[in-house]
Amino acid sequence: MTALVELQDVSVDYAGHGGSVSAVQNVSLTLGENETFGLVGESGCGKTTLSMALMGLLPASARVTGQLLFRGQDLLAMSEAERRQQRGDELSMVFQDPATSLDPTFGIGYQVAETVRAHRRVSRGESKARALALLREVGIPAAESRYADPPHRLSGGMRQRVVMAAALANDPSLLLADEPTTALDVTIQAQVLDLLAELQRKHGTTILLIAHDLGVVAQICDRVGVMYAGQLVEVAPVAELFAAPRHPYTRALLEALPSRGRRGRSLRVIGGQVPDLSDPPSGCRFADRCPHRMDVCATVPPLVDSDSRRRIACWLDPATRATAGLPPVPAAPTPDAPIAVGPS
Amino acid sequence: MTAHPVAEVGKAARAPRRRLRTRLGGREGLAGWTIVFILIAVAILAPILAPHSPEAIDGNRILAAPTATHPFGSDDLGRDVLSRVLYAYRVSLGIAVGSVLLAMAVGLPIGVFAGYVGGWTDLILMRLIDLLLSFPALLLAISLIAILGPGSLVALLAIAIIYVPIMARVVRSSVLVVRGQAYVRGARARGASHLSIVRGHVLPNAIGPALVQASVLMAFAIVIEAALSFLGLGSQPPTPELGLMLADGNNYLTQAPWVEIFPGLGIAISVLAFNLIGDGLRRSFDPNGITR
Repeated sequence: MTALVELQDVSVDYAGHGGSVSAVQNVSLTLGENETFGLVGESGCGKTTLSMALMGLLPASARVTGQLLFRGQDLLAMSEAERRQQRGDELSMVFQDPATSLDPTFGIGYQVAETVRAHRRVSRGESKARALALLREVGIPAAESRYADPPHRLSGGMRQRVVMAAALANDPSLLLADEPTTALDVTIQAQVLDLLAELQRKHGTTILLIAHDLGVVAQICDRVGVMYAGQLVEVAPVAELFAAPRHPYTRALLEALPSRGRRGRSLRVIGGQVPDLSDPPSGCRFADRCPHRMDVCATVPPLVDSDSRRRIACWLDPATRATAGLPPVPAAPTPDAPIAVGPS
Repeated sequence: MTAHPVAEVGKAARAPRRRLRTRLGGREGLAGWTIVFILIAVAILAPILAPHSPEAIDGNRILAAPTATHPFGSDDLGRDVLSRVLYAYRVSLGIAVGSVLLAMAVGLPIGVFAGYVGGWTDLILMRLIDLLLSFPALLLAISLIAILGPGSLVALLAIAIIYVPIMARVVRSSVLVVRGQAYVRGARARGASHLSIVRGHVLPNAIGPALVQASVLMAFAIVIEAALSFLGLGSQPPTPELGLMLADGNNYLTQAPWVEIFPGLGIAISVLAFNLIGDGLRRSFDPNGITR
């Protein structure tokens, strides 16, 4: 697996009126070619901020530190003009709400063609032909007669297909999909995810899928990263994460999901609240809600390789402990044991 | 939101015409446009339509009542009121359209720039605009006329200056709305430059309220110009101009009301027409009421 994107200790702070807000803290992550990587976490945990940092579309009040490498190129060192060239070409993005991500005053086809023309020196006819091909590829029926239709003539699912067509117009290497299915109903959601997976196979695009729905991630991702309050706490292949979550937050997240095995029982909730990111706790940000809180949790646990396929940032994990010279926790809870998480 | 595709097919044939009508402002707007087009035609064709020369003095018909050859009667110098009203639309419409276009040419870029860039740029530009807005409109016009001397063109310029801040503010506020839309962010994510986003996405979506405002301002321009001329600050005699004619007729209101009434009606009709267009356009362009 060759690395397409490498994030080294990426932090993002927003300057605000009453001091700064630490939206993302020390995230290190590598995305390989042809990979579909899911980034999960609750609202406000920094998923979108991280993806906007990759796109270079953060507001002026945001300060990004660390290293963002794309094909070995330092994104933070590039000029705005260079980054603009990259957006929509090498890097592309699909947003959450298809109802508003298309301009209501123009035909859908035009907006796909616009993306082509923004990066390729092609004639109007050529860009239109390319746009039509893309619309057909994403499954817009009667693409020709739909080409000039304004977005409001299309259903939400169809609109999201158009957005995806525009995002894929220049065969990007990396597609950031920020909750692409959240605004859609469940059946359409499944169709859009299938399409995303199919396009990924066909074009070999790396996809960074941002979701708060673990079901969505399970459906199409190869690996998953779990974020909590701006920190990346666990990275694992999708099947392994679901089978044996290691970070207490991941475990709590999975237990909050309804499943057939626990029919009839009430779902667990995670007690407590997300910390205030304008004054974040100095150590592990989950510590306040964690049932295994220890003294060492006052220090930020580094994200380390737990084994060859998984990374974790938790002082319960032997690998993390080893970095601080600590012995493994004597009675480390087994992954499958039920854990009481917070007051219910 | 989206109609069933089958239902869509039947609608498609009628759609373009209906769309044009809603775009122009529905039934109301259509009525307004019709009147405006008639008035413009009247202004252009005044030399053909007018039964007499607007400046021809007829000593026998001083303050004469309407007759078949002089349907609107004659004024204090025996000039034909109908002919003068027809010619007067050249000045009134010219100033109404000209001042608004000029104000748009200046105000639109300011509003778009301030709204799109935001931050300090916005703050400073808008405070300057506020400064202009803080003068009473007529006072501003009168002080400009005091400097440049009276005349139709000066009146046009004065009205345009009054309108620049109004235009800039309206455009800015709709740009602020559009700027925050996901499709603008989407266009950025697709690699569009700021300039092409402003041209391609911001302007087309933000222009609606500005057009509504423009049509309403045209109506006001006619009134302001008439007021300035009435005060002797706008067009100068013997130019046939509605406000000037009002001022003339003012002295003979009891003896010869037609000298006053017909120019007054002329003003009322043109103002009504522009307001109808404005209301119609507002309904189709600006359902959120930014121009209100």
